[in-house]
Amino acid sequence: MLRKIALWVFALSGTALAGGAAAQAYAPDRPIEFLVHTGPGGGSDVFARGAAAVLEKNKLVPQRIQITNKTGGGGLVAMSFLSEKAGQPEPVAFFTSVWYVNPLIRKEGKVTMNELTPIARLILEASVLTVRADSPFKNVKDFIEAARKNPGKLKQAGGSISGRDNNMRLLMQKATGTQWQFISFPGGGERIAALLGGHADTYVMEPSEALEHIRAGKIRVIAAVMDKRLAAFPDVPTLKEQGLNVPEIPQPRGVVGPPNMPANAKAYWEAVMAKMVKTPEWREFLKKDLLEDAFLTGPALQDFTKSFSQQMREILKEGGVAVVR
Amino acid sequence: MDVIANLMQGFAVALAPANLLWCFVGVFFGTIVGILPGLGPSATVALLLPLTFSMPPTSALIMLCGIYYGAKYGGSTTSILLNVPGESASVVTCFDGYQMAKNGRGGAALGIAAISSFVAGTFGVVALMLIAPPIASFALAFGPPEYFGLMMFGLAMVALLAGRSMVKALIALLVGLWLAQSGIDLFTDTSRFTFGRMELLDGVDFIVVAVGVFALGEVLQNIERRDAGQVLPVPKGMRNLMPTLQDLKDCRFAFLNGSVVGFLVGVLPGAGSTIASFISYGIEKAVSRHPEKFGTGVPEGVAAPEGANNAETGGALVPLLTLGIPGSGTTAVLLAALILWGFRPGPLLIAENPALFWGLVASMYVGNVLLLVMNLPLVPLFAQILRLPAYVLFPLIFGIAMVGVYSASDSVFDMWLLAFFGLLGYAMAKLDYPPAPFILGFVLGDPMERALRQSLMMSGGELTVLVSRPLSATLLAFACIILLIPLLTRLNALRLKAIEQAE
Repeated sequence: MLRKIALWVFALSGTALAGGAAAQAYAPDRPIEFLVHTGPGGGSDVFARGAAAVLEKNKLVPQRIQITNKTGGGGLVAMSFLSEKAGQPEPVAFFTSVWYVNPLIRKEGKVTMNELTPIARLILEASVLTVRADSPFKNVKDFIEAARKNPGKLKQAGGSISGRDNNMRLLMQKATGTQWQFISFPGGGERIAALLGGHADTYVMEPSEALEHIRAGKIRVIAAVMDKRLAAFPDVPTLKEQGLNVPEIPQPRGVVGPPNMPANAKAYWEAVMAKMVKTPEWREFLKKDLLEDAFLTGPALQDFTKSFSQQMREILKEGGVAVVR
Repeated sequence: MDVIANLMQGFAVALAPANLLWCFVGVFFGTIVGILPGLGPSATVALLLPLTFSMPPTSALIMLCGIYYGAKYGGSTTSILLNVPGESASVVTCFDGYQMAKNGRGGAALGIAAISSFVAGTFGVVALMLIAPPIASFALAFGPPEYFGLMMFGLAMVALLAGRSMVKALIALLVGLWLAQSGIDLFTDTSRFTFGRMELLDGVDFIVVAVGVFALGEVLQNIERRDAGQVLPVPKGMRNLMPTLQDLKDCRFAFLNGSVVGFLVGVLPGAGSTIASFISYGIEKAVSRHPEKFGTGVPEGVAAPEGANNAETGGALVPLLTLGIPGSGTTAVLLAALILWGFRPGPLLIAENPALFWGLVASMYVGNVLLLVMNLPLVPLFAQILRLPAYVLFPLIFGIAMVGVYSASDSVFDMWLLAFFGLLGYAMAKLDYPPAPFILGFVLGDPMERALRQSLMMSGGELTVLVSRPLSATLLAFACIILLIPLLTRLNALRLKAIEQAE
């Protein structure tokens, strides 16, 4: 009789413990929502779809993933949407550097990265400094010399003035005492067209964009904008190697959750991401798109979030962009 | 002949039963997407992208491109019958197309739109096939000063769209230009005219303005008349249900005009099909023997812009396939698709994947034929929509407009904007301000300002850069000529009157 009671107590306490444990751990019970701030086909959208494909292929999540596109305001609409879900475990959003930069310069923005819950930094995007293949610049030194001889005459095609390409230009100008023009174009296509058509002398582009034009012999890469040489361009020296002492501005991509995300949901996604970056499919994805693995979570990520925001704030102020936060 | 041999191979790919089916699926969906305002080809292509991963890439590209140019066919239907632009490029078709419907010739308008789309779409494919690489080099020579020249040329069209009062047309143009400035300024990264609202950071959405001013404005005007009966006369008899031979003869130049202008403007990255249709409409009016009839419902006024926006698809594929440069929203998604399927878009894409390119080209011929066959017989059917009495039609238009805009923007704020522009359209109609210059200003404002500032950045502040380059100087000269046309016609009329009085 006593044994029976003991067995019952044991069984009940076991289920209680299991029930208790289930209340502690988090697992998605509905289709998972990945939030991106670009439209379909845009950079973040393609990156998120790549990540979703790797996760689903390796069965790292129990539900299917769907991508929600919330475009507008350079990420501000998506950030605002995310902040409305404060305290909830979803959606999980994919951030890029504009999530850090735009709230600093736009007063219409309502929330910054410090209020959201960063989960993991996944990659750092390198870029390369390119010129036309028929131009006289064989390396960065040639370009800087030409800029010194003709102040304000050389032209760089790029995006908005708060973007990384202009920030790199400002740092390079400061380090060398030279000056050249920056011309903004709204899309990557128009920037490449400006370079190829001779309307601009240089362009900082993504390695994956550059590959095809190099293969066709149309452009030449004169520097890797990164702290070490890129695997895809082993013969291209970095800016530092060519004597330019400029700090590197990383272009991070990662995942972030709503403000006050429940701790168990955050831990769940941190674990899932940690597993994802170790899969061969993820490595293949990075290799194909020439992205650098830069996985970071936890307190190190917190430090990065603070220091990166501060670094951007200083760079923007120096560049003459009005900082409102 | 290399081209013929390649094309034969392409047809072998395109006429394979599976690819034929995908082509049909693509153009069918494209037509539907074009008819519905708000949902555009770029969003649809992006939505269907995940489905294509299990298909062979050539079939997938055939289908997605089918959606792209199919949408241009469908966009004219609601523009003509309901004054609701189904797609941003169809807004110019509203000018004369809806008037034709009001005159009881809605069927003829739909037929002309379909035929013009076919002719220009086929022209676009032929041009893509034959002259893609040299045209791409020409497009690269177009720098910011040339873009400015082109935009000024487009802006000069206001002289032709003015109607009775030039002053009112200019005011409408200026308001449109001002409205285009709302949003984040690319060069200084500051926000302009956002009134502190995050939703306006990207400016006002074109589809909100166009649907509001045209569709809702028209409905509000009609409601005022308290007509319980039919809004528009139902076309009766073959003369009004289908275009007549006379119509086709009148549109001979419009077909050519639309094809060439559409293709050339499409090749330029960043200049879209709306600009192409405006320019084509303007040129058609400028060379017409009866320009004062434009805006009252002339078939050329439908044929030219419709042709332009179809030829533009062929043009936009040129930079994509020859250089890997996307020229418009939809081609940007197609670029992402090509990359996801494992291709490497760039200057070597065609040489390394001839089956892909030629299969696509051949399928576009097939697709255009399919679309003509699908759309022409449906014209009398669509025209029966006009049978609906006002109290059914107006809520229908309102509903379609609102659902369409909301599905595109996902924002209640845009709904309020839509209401605002509907009231604006109504007020403009009552006060006799023409909507065409307003829309023209809104469409051109952004690219024109950008081109001017880029040109000045390039030249270090020298305005002469705009006239020192041959291409931009030519375009600006054309713009001046067009602006002088009303003055010249007035002078000519005075001269003729003087001669009359002397006799």
